[in-house]
Amino acid sequence: MAKEMIAMLLAGGQGSRLYALTQKLAKPAVPFGGKYRIIDFPLSNCVNSGIDTVGILTQYQPLVLNEYIGNGQPWDLDRLYGGVHVLPPYQSAKGSDWYKGTANAIYQNISFIERYQPQYVIILSGDQICKQDYSDFLKFHKEKGAEFSVAVMEVPWDEASRFGLMVADENDKITEFQEKPKNPKSNLASMGIYIFNWDVLKKYLEEDEANPKSSNDFGNDIIPNLLKDGREMYAYHFNGYWKDVGTISSLWEANMEVLDPEHSGINLFDEDWKIYSRNSGMTGHRIGEDAKVIDSMITDGCRIEGSVKRSILFAGVKVEKGAVVEDAVVMGGSTIGAGAVVKHCIVAENVVIEEGAKVGAAPTEKEKGVATVGSNVTIGKNAKIGPNAMVSESVKEGEKVC
Amino acid sequence: MLNMNADALGIIFPNSYDTLVPELARERLMASIPFASRYRVVDFMLSSMVNGGIDNVSLIVKQNYHSLMDHLGSGREWDLTRKNGGLNLVPPFSDRETKLYSGRVDALSSMIPFLKRQKEKYVVMTDANIAVNFDFKDLLAKHVESGADVTIAYTNEGLPQDLIDLEADNNSLYYTLKLKEDRVAEIVVNSKDKGIQNLSMNIYVMERTLLIEQISEAYLKGGVYYERDILMNQLDKLDIRGYCFEGYVARLTSLRSYFAESMKLLEEENVEALFGPSTIYTKIRDDNPTRYTNNSKVKRIMAADGCVIEGEVENCILFRGVKIGKGAKVKNCVLMQDTVVEEGAKVEYVITDKSVCISADRALKGTDTFPVYVEKNKRV
Repeated sequence: MAKEMIAMLLAGGQGSRLYALTQKLAKPAVPFGGKYRIIDFPLSNCVNSGIDTVGILTQYQPLVLNEYIGNGQPWDLDRLYGGVHVLPPYQSAKGSDWYKGTANAIYQNISFIERYQPQYVIILSGDQICKQDYSDFLKFHKEKGAEFSVAVMEVPWDEASRFGLMVADENDKITEFQEKPKNPKSNLASMGIYIFNWDVLKKYLEEDEANPKSSNDFGNDIIPNLLKDGREMYAYHFNGYWKDVGTISSLWEANMEVLDPEHSGINLFDEDWKIYSRNSGMTGHRIGEDAKVIDSMITDGCRIEGSVKRSILFAGVKVEKGAVVEDAVVMGGSTIGAGAVVKHCIVAENVVIEEGAKVGAAPTEKEKGVATVGSNVTIGKNAKIGPNAMVSESVKEGEKVC
Repeated sequence: MLNMNADALGIIFPNSYDTLVPELARERLMASIPFASRYRVVDFMLSSMVNGGIDNVSLIVKQNYHSLMDHLGSGREWDLTRKNGGLNLVPPFSDRETKLYSGRVDALSSMIPFLKRQKEKYVVMTDANIAVNFDFKDLLAKHVESGADVTIAYTNEGLPQDLIDLEADNNSLYYTLKLKEDRVAEIVVNSKDKGIQNLSMNIYVMERTLLIEQISEAYLKGGVYYERDILMNQLDKLDIRGYCFEGYVARLTSLRSYFAESMKLLEEENVEALFGPSTIYTKIRDDNPTRYTNNSKVKRIMAADGCVIEGEVENCILFRGVKIGKGAKVKNCVLMQDTVVEEGAKVEYVITDKSVCISADRALKGTDTFPVYVEKNKRV
């Protein structure tokens, strides 16, 4: 039985700019929004859009991601035919190879795709926070009679040169592609989400592979080649919430936006578009006698005795008496000791911040970084972590890290 | 085969003591009463069994079990979706007459062919009226070590007043044990004695073959209750022992006790005692984390995921998806799933069932000994 469309999710990214957070896990596995990981968004979008077959291309530090995905049951992707499959690079009779680029990753899995004889393939990226209905995207693709469509977002003109831009005519037909140009001719930024007719994609992947000079990348090679050949290429306008969380500050910002769905547009309280995740199974969170909690999101298993303001606490976070947590993202299982002050920062999983320690600071004219503490780190008593610091090893009592 | 599991199968009676909490069990059964912000009472026994290596669990249901079926599904959340064993829901079986069972004997008699087919050496039998993190491994080990025929778990405590006050026509029986060392010398039905006693938890272990024998024989003689009609007559013949459970126990004996047991979970030491020993599993709802807005003011609460809190909340248990509007004041309440307290409403000493709505600016107040209960789906 053929599937109309299947999804291929690029999740191999190292996320080197998230350094302390991605030392032991791939970027798509980075926790987000209190109880999710980044990859929950594209996976939930797939299920909510009616796509029941997803290949996840992994390469960098796949352990956490593999375990997290498991058989796909939390996303309802444990199916008899289809479902979710993790696709690491493998060895074949012809030899073995790491995924050389995004296009090569798909090329190496042509046989996986062919098992489902899809008409269309959607290429997704595992490092964006976005709620998107892919079925609407496909409808557009079909209506235009496209062979390739790309989802685009309008970005402010002065930021446009940071993106890959699509220049399109009034009929949304793409006429030109500019990769991070100095002089942008368009403000339609590619979101890195593509729908291809499978026969077209397969042809271009094979040609690209045969070209030894190619970098085997969608943006650098496949899309320019399609353009050169005058293929039917269209730009699909998406105007919902979308955020690339490739840097510490954008990750922090996206988390903060979750706290303000009325203005940011990222509403996780959407009964019709649930974001699924693997749940912690912890009991309800508790808020103590002297605690203060405002403008925050608190997850199961948390225990709060201190003050929490404009922060996101993941499952099982402890905030002891007198501790202050402000503008912070604190990931699962971490403890903020009595009297510790944690501000404007990201604290990864299973971190212990001991009594009286200070992590990060509210931004000032001079310093406006987001302090980051990597997973399983202990910050000793009265230690001080500056607002631009990125800590991935334990800090001793009283020490200072800037 | 390597066997890391207990050599026992579990049987749970989810309808036992339904009549003690008529309000909460009106549209459901004892086992599916919501408790502790995101659980149903049965989760505790079921998880304890699973954590104790028992992975073949039958629930013999009697009536009002829609909610339980919905909750348990295929048993996946308890890791009970298995090829061998797993979760087994046993509905009433009416080959001879359409009569609902009234005690364990007639309930089990319909299961004898099933029991005969099983391979486990032991049977663990319980009700689902107690929220407890029970160590079944230890119970089984003690049972085997002592060489007893039947072991009964009990707590050493004063009887709950609700039990003492039970009317004679209430068919909920409870048992206290008189012990001679570890041996049970006497089983008393519905004791009215005050003071510390050995109150049975109705958790039993015995060999499967013994249970089959006991039930077959008692059924022929018209026996109904396992304790009254079997054990009490076999105290001399069999080696029946007590196993004192000293962990945390929340026993639901009335609406008032439900309220009190809920409120006890606002003490962190009780939460640790109940949830600390091992994970209690429950159905997943995929709610987002709970959101506190700018105007929220909270103190001493336990809340599950999916709530939105814009008002004032103190001394409350909030289940998944509860919404507290701006300016609302909620104090000493248990609000079950998806309860909405609209703007400016004032609620105190209230238990709301699922999907209740308290309209804007309304006030509703009970007392600590008499909490007001609002039925499922009702609007105040």
